[in-house]
Amino acid sequence: MNRPWVEKYRPQTLEEVVGQDHIIQRLKQYVNEESMPNLMFTGPAGVGKTTTAIALAKAMLGEYWKQNFLELNASDARGIDTVRKDIKNFCRLKAVGSPFRIIFLDEVDNMTKDAQHALRREMEMYTKTSSFILSCNYSSKIIDPIQSRCAIFRFAPIKGHQVIQRLEKIANTENIQHTPGTLESIVYFAEGDMRRAVNILQSTATMGTEITEEHVHDVVSKAKPKDVRRIINMALDGDFMGSRDLLREVMVVQGTSGEDMITQVYQEVSRMSMDDLIGSEEYINLVGHIGEYDFRIREGANPRIQLESLLTKFLPKEKAD
Amino acid sequence: MLWTEKYSPRKIDDVLGNKKAIEQIDEWVENWEHGEPQKCLLLIGPPGTGKTTLAHLIAVFFSDHIELNASDKRSFDIIMNTIGEASAATSLFGKGKKLIILDEVDGLHGNEDRGGIRAINKIIKESHHPIIMMANDPYSKRITSLKSKCQVINIRKVHTNSIVALLKRICVKEGIEFEEHVLRTLAKRSNGDLRSAINDLQVIAQGKNSITSNDLEIISEKDNVNNIFDSIRTVLKSKNPKRIKNALRLDSEPGFILEQITENIPREYEKPEEIEKAYDMVAEADMYLGRAFHTRHYGYWKYTYDLMGLGVALAKDETYKKFSRYASSTFYSKLSRNRAKRDLRDRVATKMGEKMHTSRKVAIEQFPYFEIMFQPEDLARDLADYFELDDAEVKQFRKRKIKKRKTKKAPKSTTNKDKSNRKKSSASVVSKKTKTSTKSSKSTEKEEKKVLTEDSNKKDEDKKKKDHSSKSVSKDNGESEKPEAKDNGKQVSLFSFK
Repeated sequence: MNRPWVEKYRPQTLEEVVGQDHIIQRLKQYVNEESMPNLMFTGPAGVGKTTTAIALAKAMLGEYWKQNFLELNASDARGIDTVRKDIKNFCRLKAVGSPFRIIFLDEVDNMTKDAQHALRREMEMYTKTSSFILSCNYSSKIIDPIQSRCAIFRFAPIKGHQVIQRLEKIANTENIQHTPGTLESIVYFAEGDMRRAVNILQSTATMGTEITEEHVHDVVSKAKPKDVRRIINMALDGDFMGSRDLLREVMVVQGTSGEDMITQVYQEVSRMSMDDLIGSEEYINLVGHIGEYDFRIREGANPRIQLESLLTKFLPKEKAD
Repeated sequence: MLWTEKYSPRKIDDVLGNKKAIEQIDEWVENWEHGEPQKCLLLIGPPGTGKTTLAHLIAVFFSDHIELNASDKRSFDIIMNTIGEASAATSLFGKGKKLIILDEVDGLHGNEDRGGIRAINKIIKESHHPIIMMANDPYSKRITSLKSKCQVINIRKVHTNSIVALLKRICVKEGIEFEEHVLRTLAKRSNGDLRSAINDLQVIAQGKNSITSNDLEIISEKDNVNNIFDSIRTVLKSKNPKRIKNALRLDSEPGFILEQITENIPREYEKPEEIEKAYDMVAEADMYLGRAFHTRHYGYWKYTYDLMGLGVALAKDETYKKFSRYASSTFYSKLSRNRAKRDLRDRVATKMGEKMHTSRKVAIEQFPYFEIMFQPEDLARDLADYFELDDAEVKQFRKRKIKKRKTKKAPKSTTNKDKSNRKKSSASVVSKKTKTSTKSSKSTEKEEKKVLTEDSNKKDEDKKKKDHSSKSVSKDNGESEKPEAKDNGKQVSLFSFK
């Protein structure tokens, strides 16, 4: 049966993990010593934080890893109560068949400070029976007491040639032919995000058994959040209300994240500049704004308000003479 | 000592104003004293008009009283424990009645005080004791269910003249010389709120021999809670910092206020430059909201208020002399209008997140790629099985039904435009199918065949039922049967909703 390739080809052992060699080396030492401190994995999306955590748990906990491994991701309501209840229930039982238990908390940076403080207490209380692995995109959003209790591992975006190697392997196993340049263009769009790279590859593979650069472009443009171009064009025509309404529609209905939207806005603006639809002065001015709003969204501002504000930058202004 | 307490009325007749209401209350008390049980009382009126005072004054006519107000947490359990038991019990000596005072019933919090209104209703129904309740907002949804069961008495604002008279008496007793117009200003400002008038007087007069109009400056105008649209109007029409600051004294979350101001910027401002500038301000205000949330340092809110208030106000060149129709943010209406779609999206994202070890957010980010992967039938079918998506959930990724498969694996096909009875019967088959097929993915094909035949039998039954029904056989029914014939009846045709 077909499975999503991101799962089918998810590295199952530490050795298989791609592009994080120095981290893997250290983790293997922990496995040899059969003990580990609390760990924190930080880094952008799709660089292998979760994969590494699961692989480490398997290596560390052996045959009964599933019983002794608790994975909590950010979809689970993770207020203070959940942290206390779930983790407590899991931690107070002694590990059976494994040296200790491991709790993996994903996207800790989306927890409020209060919940993080609650977590810190739990981390202290169960040091004898359990170890924690925390993962986050931005370690700056983690409170200091937690950071100081963890060995911090910074995952870098995976290098282009390593992504290509991996894609190559998958393509071979799946009998997908590819013309030169195809995988390179996937890497270009994936921006060091292996999950995205693999998803692009699998999407492209639906086009046929031989895939080309064209196919990749096709997929990537289909996968773009819809209507970004329309939103921008409406703003450029001075229809702010229409533009704003469409933006809200897209974000509410499709659930497109602020980060995705702003990346698209950037790509769209950059394309317009290439096509000479906007002057270079205006372009660089807009890029400055986009960068600022991007930063704010990642800092935790309300993405929709920030994007609406960004739209006002596109409105035609009367020339001050 | 607070003057509001010191000069609080000692007898029910001393209460200022509201003569008619007081008569009604008197009568109510008398009837109880004569052993005639009465409906419970609900006093509704603005703050500072003597509701709580009245309740306490009549308490002396009863053997005892129990009170719960907004500072107590008032969930179902708490109310039942503190009042429920006491109210259901009758006193040993028969005659003694306990007065139950429930203050600020319209202030029951939706979340913290869950079930509070239910508990009150229960107590009203079961209690043998007199109950008196107070509320500020006559239109509060929370008290609609109570109103029908109570004798409602409206308590009105106290007349300015009555307030002035009382303030005078206080000044005389405290030995303070006064100018009458000062007291009149205080009374007017209080807007019928006797308590705040006395408080204001105490602030400017305590420890002094005389008060003059200069003293009025040290107290600001009363903190009136404003209506949100009035506030937005002030922000968008005015440039006066004081007025704007006052206007934003609202009883809402700053995030909500920000949303509403943001919504109405382009409804008032016309020049793109103004819209841009105003939006700069709300965007910045929003940053501080985010920071406050993440750090739990709510001191940041003050920047939010200034930026979205005065900041937005100053973005205009000059005030527009027009009537603008303001509206509540379309964001909220979009949210509720698209609830079904969002629920579907989140449900799918949760299922996928479980399989792919990601949060919903990350799963949703990958949706566009899955939309492409769900186009070929085979892959779509397999992915749907893998993620355990039912037919309705597959709709997130493709509009067309997934066609049946020629081999023996979980067939999935969907037809649009079905009659409702068919939808129902087939939907149940669908869910069964998804379950069985995923479970059996490891088992042998033989077993799968068995499952399929079973299901197709079921399908046949469904079809028979359908044929008996009065509805004529529709066009798409014919369509769905054609491929079935090819598959020698082994395949099940499944339907889903468009």
